[in-house]
Amino acid sequence: MTKIRLENVSYAYEDRGAALPAVEGINISVHEGEFVSIIGPSGCGKSTLLSLLAGLSFPSAGCIFIDGQVIKGTGPDRGLVFQHYSLFPWMTARQNIVFGIRQVKKSTGKKTIEKIADEYLGLVGLRDFAHKYPLQLSGGMQQRVAIARAFAMNPRVLLMDEPFGALDAKNRVVLQEVLLKLWDNGSEKKTVIFVTHDIDEAVLLSDRIMVMSARPGTVVREVPVEFARPRDRAALIGSEEYAGLRNKMVSLFYDDVLQKIGGSEVAL
Amino acid sequence: MKKLFNLANIGFLLLLLLEIIPSRRNDTGPFFLLVLVVSIQVLYLLILAVSGDDDKRTAAGDITAIIYALIFSWELFTTKLDILDQMLFPAPGIIVSLFITDLPVLLKGFADSMELLLAGYLLALAFAIPLALVIGWRKRLYNAVNPLTKVLGPIPPIVYIPYAIGLLPTFMISSIFIIFVGAFWPIFINTLNGVFNIEKRIIDSAKALNVSEKTMLFEIILPGALPAIISGSTIGLVLAFILLTAAEMIGATSGLGWYVKYFSDFADYSRVIVGIIFIGMVVTAITYVFNKIEVYLLRWRN
Ligand SMILES: Nc1ncnc2c1ncn2[C@@H]1O[C@H](COP(=O)(O)OP(=O)(O)OP(=O)(O)O)[C@@H](O)[C@H]1O
Ligand SMILES: [Mg+2]
Repeated sequence: MTKIRLENVSYAYEDRGAALPAVEGINISVHEGEFVSIIGPSGCGKSTLLSLLAGLSFPSAGCIFIDGQVIKGTGPDRGLVFQHYSLFPWMTARQNIVFGIRQVKKSTGKKTIEKIADEYLGLVGLRDFAHKYPLQLSGGMQQRVAIARAFAMNPRVLLMDEPFGALDAKNRVVLQEVLLKLWDNGSEKKTVIFVTHDIDEAVLLSDRIMVMSARPGTVVREVPVEFARPRDRAALIGSEEYAGLRNKMVSLFYDDVLQKIGGSEVAL
Repeated sequence: MKKLFNLANIGFLLLLLLEIIPSRRNDTGPFFLLVLVVSIQVLYLLILAVSGDDDKRTAAGDITAIIYALIFSWELFTTKLDILDQMLFPAPGIIVSLFITDLPVLLKGFADSMELLLAGYLLALAFAIPLALVIGWRKRLYNAVNPLTKVLGPIPPIVYIPYAIGLLPTFMISSIFIIFVGAFWPIFINTLNGVFNIEKRIIDSAKALNVSEKTMLFEIILPGALPAIISGSTIGLVLAFILLTAAEMIGATSGLGWYVKYFSDFADYSRVIVGIIFIGMVVTAITYVFNKIEVYLLRWRN
């Protein structure tokens, strides 16, 4: 079933009266429970696209549908995890999660909400850090809390903008596993849109990868990833199929860049 | 050994030795000066005993030494050598003795002053913060009000004093009004800027969590602007205190500012100095409490 559909979506930033197109003519659809990655060069409009999906801004042209309805702003059906840590610094890890849950479960009692928060803190391995403020946590820990908050709110759609972009390689792998575990935890899978710069990350996590190009910022290719789940990271990385897909992605990703250099758009 | 012969302890000993030298002024015996010096030394030793932090102990020692140096030269040039004017430069012992005898008057003045200060200052907090939160959050209001604050904010609030006294029926109401106006602007302007400067990321995060307008204002914007609110409130408090004493000097019949002004009219400079020192102690105590509150409220910052 189609969960999200974009029809000819364009968005332009306003800059001193002039319109700066950031994304143009995007047509995609995403199934319920699908894990879709978006990759593309810096500045191609990935974050812009995500904030349109979140309802933080509205398309200049075209329409975004969720469950067949045009979106009219932010909603509890969508959770957002930003590229840069988006916790509230004056709330402890636990308070951040409690705050999130309270926004979707207005009538639930305090005790119940705190129990849910602790459960999710446990799931991301931060039970002992419940009462720490974000500034007392490392970047990786903060991002775990942000992910725990997003999942604890139990939205149907999860929008993630380079959530692991600022982490070291080890933390990145750990959090990828945490994310997959939360996504595929037995109940109905959430629909995930995951922006990344990292080709391996995209291949390992996704059901489908959308490749964007810059100027105009639009989706140029959609590549299905058909490896069985749950995926065994080590075995997969050694396999020929993986290497084949990875090479294909690398050439797609860099073709765009090389073309630009060849076409003298980049001054050398 | 080194611990024993630090600057503070040497200062203490020198002051004790100074009292052996015969005095030229005979207006007071060594008793009150010794009371002062011994109290300072006891306080210093208490701090040494309580504090675990080496830097803090060193600082306490240095500060004590500086205070001793001041008292030493003060005592030396007044009581011992008598080369300063007796009326303008009373001996430290006299100040201490007057401080003790006048303490009831000073405490009453303190209570009266605090009443005015708290009334004006709390009113300023209660109006400035909510108003600035709402105005800072509404772009259109902000664009209209911000230029106005640039004109009204910098007017030195002292200039309102004569007008307020003429306009309002009692001294009490007019001083509360003046303190209110003086404290209002720094709190208001800082809060406004604080709201305006909250990171977009934080606002977007809150929006993405789908918060209500009320939650946004009180659980996101308010704590987000809190560092700015507190720095505005500190400036507001200092201004409130200045205005309080200024108003009391003009029209009051009690209070800290009144005490200083009243005795300076009689050229009783000993009591003027007592008043100044007492005001200094009050301000220090208030600032101390204020800092504790600030540290608690901003405990989430590193
Ligand atoms: N607030 C803004 N005002 C004006 N232009 C903007 C604004 N935000 C982004 N842009 C422009 O829109 C384009 C797309 O930006 P966007 O942040 O969506 O890219 P991105 O793909 O997320 O990049 P990155 O991978 O570096 O995060 C860029 O050209 C950028 O300069
Ligand atoms: Mg981005």
